[in-house]
Amino acid sequence: MEQFQSSGPAPASADPAAPAAGNGPFAGSPAGAPDADGSFGSGAAVGSTLVASAYRAGEGRYDEMVASGNVPRPHWSVLSGALAELGTQELLGRQQEAERLLHEDGAVYHAYGAAPGPWQPWKLDAVPTIIPSGEWQRIETAVGQRAELLSLVLADLYGPRDLLKRGLLPPSVVFQHAGFLQACQGIRLPTERQLFTYALDLGRDDDGTWTVLADRTQAPSGSGYALENRTVMSRVLPSLYRGANVHRLEPFFRALRTSLASVAPRGVEEPRIVVLTPGPLNETAFEHALLSSRLGYPLVEAADLVVREDGVKMRSPGKLEPVHVILRRVDGHYCDPLELRGDSQLGVPGLVEATRRGMVSVVNTLGSGALENPALMRFLPAIARELLGEDLALPCVPAWWCGEPTELSHTLEHLGSLVLRPISRSAGQSSIFGAQCSVEELDALRRRIQAHPERWVAQAPLALGDVPTLTPDGLEPRRSVLRTFAVATADGYTVMPGGLTRAAPSIEPGPVSNQAGAIAKDTWVIASEPQVASSLAVLGGPLADESGELAMLSAGAAENLWWLGRYAERAEASTRLLRTVHDRRNEFQGSSDAPGLAALDLLRTALTTVTDTKRTESDDPWSDFVGILVDDRRPGTLAHSVRSMLEAAHAVRDQLSSDVWLVVGQLDRKLTRLRGRTDLRSPELQGALQQVLQGLLGLSGLSQESMVRDLAWRFLDGGRRVERALQLLALLRSTVPASPSGVTGSLVLESVVTAAESIITYRRRSRLHWHLETVLQLLVLDEDNPRSVASQLAALTADLEAIPRVGTRLRTDQRLVLEATTTLRTCDPAGLVNAYGGAHPVALTNFLATIEGQLRDAAAAVERDQFLLRLPQQRLTDSWLG
Amino acid sequence: MTARYRITHKTAYYYEADVSASYGRMRLLPREQPGQRCLESSVTIEPDPGDHSQHIDIFGNRVDYMSIHEPHRVLTITASSVVEVDAPPSLPLAGGQPWESVRDGVGHTGGEDDVTAVQFSIDSPLVGASEPFRAYAEASFPPGRPLAEAVIDLSSRIHREFEFVADATDVNTPPETVLKTRTGVCQDFAHVGIACLRSLGLPARYVSGYLETDPPPGMERLTGADVSHAWFGAFVPGAGWIDVDPTNDQVPGQRYIVTAYGRDYSDVAPVSGVIYTRGRTKSLEVVVDVLGVDPSGPTDLPTPTS
Repeated sequence: MEQFQSSGPAPASADPAAPAAGNGPFAGSPAGAPDADGSFGSGAAVGSTLVASAYRAGEGRYDEMVASGNVPRPHWSVLSGALAELGTQELLGRQQEAERLLHEDGAVYHAYGAAPGPWQPWKLDAVPTIIPSGEWQRIETAVGQRAELLSLVLADLYGPRDLLKRGLLPPSVVFQHAGFLQACQGIRLPTERQLFTYALDLGRDDDGTWTVLADRTQAPSGSGYALENRTVMSRVLPSLYRGANVHRLEPFFRALRTSLASVAPRGVEEPRIVVLTPGPLNETAFEHALLSSRLGYPLVEAADLVVREDGVKMRSPGKLEPVHVILRRVDGHYCDPLELRGDSQLGVPGLVEATRRGMVSVVNTLGSGALENPALMRFLPAIARELLGEDLALPCVPAWWCGEPTELSHTLEHLGSLVLRPISRSAGQSSIFGAQCSVEELDALRRRIQAHPERWVAQAPLALGDVPTLTPDGLEPRRSVLRTFAVATADGYTVMPGGLTRAAPSIEPGPVSNQAGAIAKDTWVIASEPQVASSLAVLGGPLADESGELAMLSAGAAENLWWLGRYAERAEASTRLLRTVHDRRNEFQGSSDAPGLAALDLLRTALTTVTDTKRTESDDPWSDFVGILVDDRRPGTLAHSVRSMLEAAHAVRDQLSSDVWLVVGQLDRKLTRLRGRTDLRSPELQGALQQVLQGLLGLSGLSQESMVRDLAWRFLDGGRRVERALQLLALLRSTVPASPSGVTGSLVLESVVTAAESIITYRRRSRLHWHLETVLQLLVLDEDNPRSVASQLAALTADLEAIPRVGTRLRTDQRLVLEATTTLRTCDPAGLVNAYGGAHPVALTNFLATIEGQLRDAAAAVERDQFLLRLPQQRLTDSWLG
Repeated sequence: MTARYRITHKTAYYYEADVSASYGRMRLLPREQPGQRCLESSVTIEPDPGDHSQHIDIFGNRVDYMSIHEPHRVLTITASSVVEVDAPPSLPLAGGQPWESVRDGVGHTGGEDDVTAVQFSIDSPLVGASEPFRAYAEASFPPGRPLAEAVIDLSSRIHREFEFVADATDVNTPPETVLKTRTGVCQDFAHVGIACLRSLGLPARYVSGYLETDPPPGMERLTGADVSHAWFGAFVPGAGWIDVDPTNDQVPGQRYIVTAYGRDYSDVAPVSGVIYTRGRTKSLEVVVDVLGVDPSGPTDLPTPTS
């Protein structure tokens, strides 16, 4: 999201008389503040007094909450009173609750280059901001007007280009802009309006006038975050929210759904719609998944799509599904390596051709980024008079396009007081604020502008209005920007009531953007009448009702679900094994119990073998024990499995219940906290293993109890089954054949059965005697034991059967699982055991290795045949000889 | 007097490993434009593409689109056409105006031609204005010199001062490097010419096409006659394009056939595409044959030679 900055004066320095930390604006609220969040209609008088005494509006800027003299504005008086009644401490508590809810939902934002991890929690202020209905109606109308105009401009730029020919828009403003895609000439949506979704950033002038800062037309982001803000706020301040008659957001998303269907190519009766994302590492990936799951459309990456002669298809397990509408969150020029950026790995070759032939509708249209041009804003007022016959209702900040000699000289003359913006914006590139530049920087800037004046626009700085924002010291005024959202419908543009307000991260002057750490605020448009909730949107249910759409599963999603299952199971198996080995160590290490020590040594070696983690050079076999727990860079460790599991989960978050984040969201941090520990007796180790196991069991419970048994679940479960069987087979193979009989052998068997979570059953069946044959029966052959190999094979067979296949022949993966099942069923357990009840090493090893091999091959076949989306992409070039 | 040619342009890619899918765009067919008529044309692709269509791009070029979804190790694209070229008109009269007046008008005269002038005078993906090119061009553009004369002089200088060396450059070599090394092939020389004009604020285009393979009796065989060729042109609003061929120091006439034009090579590459494979492209073969034929004969296509 683009950033804005005010050049307005910094607020007056802290008044020495102002309350100290912890004694903020609400400190005066009566002891025993209400345990609910207050209610509208009470405490207004108290509130206004308190606000007036402690909240200090910034100087020279419009304040949303208070008018001059620190008197609450009429539409704020009730809320500010209620907030005052709650008090700072209570509000901070609500803030924590909001953070917890956001965390549970996995709400994150990816700031480029941010340290340490890429994921930043989405920051939401516990205090909403308010826009009264009457004022909102004017904004809504003005946003709609601007959207209509931009839609006409877009149609013209990729059509007749009359605006250029008639001199209403200088051609170089268009042709110099990176968002203008020549390849998209002539491509149109079948509907009237060519600009499908639109976002507009607005700020207040110093007198409070809403003023246009920037148009967002490429693939506007933020509407999903606005929905998340609302979901959280309605739970954090429930009574306030209910009492305030806040306009609902669902109608906007319903309009979006309706419009997505109506924009489908002509003749398509039941359009298939997908959401195209660059992937889980994108800055707004959370929102892509949220929108896709709330709208009920599959979330796909480029590799999931393929262009064929009869249209765009989604690669789905076993088949190609037609796709008619693509809601894209990938920037236009990345969308097709054939006709646009040739080095893009985020695109679908042939997509431009498919839109050209009208076989698919991509929204926003490829090339819509051409409107995200600050130079265009300079010419828009005149274009509005020409095309609409009216003036724009929302003023723009004054702007000068440096391609005009007079405007260039004005810009160069006033460089130190203007905001300079390149007409094309690339990721991470920000506006330059003359007021903050040194003399040298201004000289350098001047030279850059003079080299290519037509690529620069100067804007007058905008004061930006303040919103009251919660800090530990109470409410503080923070500069703010409002992003509004609109979607084209058959009758005009539907505007989301409210939008996404972002407040500056600090009271100091600085940019207001998510990249710069801005804080989001829920934006309440207050209606005069109560609003009726019309859907489940606020509660988190999908808006979709067509089950067919929900059943669509991309091959990419299937792959992530499969690996989510495999890594979750691998993590669970590692946790149990680590715990078992750790218990044995506490029991025998340092003792003189020879059989116990021998068993411990064997188990320690097996741990390395099963997890496939190489031992370090050290003579002490235990020196690496903590590493196997916490070293997330090394494959095979518990931390690595947990991290991989979370990555897979992030990539399919649209398929998962938000409770998933509740149970596993913190697991990686729990493990990394143990880094550097060397004391193996520390109870922290067992504690961490316990917590990890709890989380994993929670996840397993969710997938068993809360997921529909559809194709998505089959892949998740199939991955889990394969992994559980492989882990168990590896554990058996690396312990039992090498284990001596006698006490050591019994200790090893007991440990293996414990790690395989079957100790209770074993004890019930065999009391205290340890018989290898019984162990094999229980862990390998018994289909009634849900932890046995046989039981995994049975479940896996059913999962693979559910994957669509061509013809009646079994696929390779199915054939291999059938072979493994046959190997198992035709085995005579007595033949694996020697005359003394110990292992027949060769026979047992062969038996276990055979099943393990067949299963590994089956897993590889699934991974190759179901997921392998495409081979490495290369460019085809012509000869360079002429 | 009209000349008629039969043109065959065959491109073959040989791959190390299976290519699972292949997408291509081809600009291989002569343009329909004043003075040039395409009587017959076809593009044949092996293996048989599942999808093959044609459209006109933003510059008016004919573009073939194709995709193949079966594994293959060889891709062959054969374009065949019969085209008529009229005797060239004399240079546009407006080419006689001083070059500065064209420069000063860009972006300020309005109308469709001005849109074109701006489109071709600003930086394009492969060719941008810069001081070294302005300095190089300066000698051909003294104050007040007629534009056409200046452009022809620039083309002659590139011909004299640059050496044609195959394989010294590739599609990724920036024009700046070519200006320094003074070596390259026709595509490079066209880019150098365009960069010179744009550095002076003048609109310039890249033209791709063909030359007659065998020279008429008594005439020299031209360089680039057995591959696709490239040259460049300057735009004069109100009058049209002045094209020049720096590789052969010629003003293109009846021995030149135009397939496409654009801002630079990236707009008009004869074949470009995306493939999916684990291996490399082992080799690429391009064969171009441009035969002069009797203008009064039948217009049937030559049989593609394999």
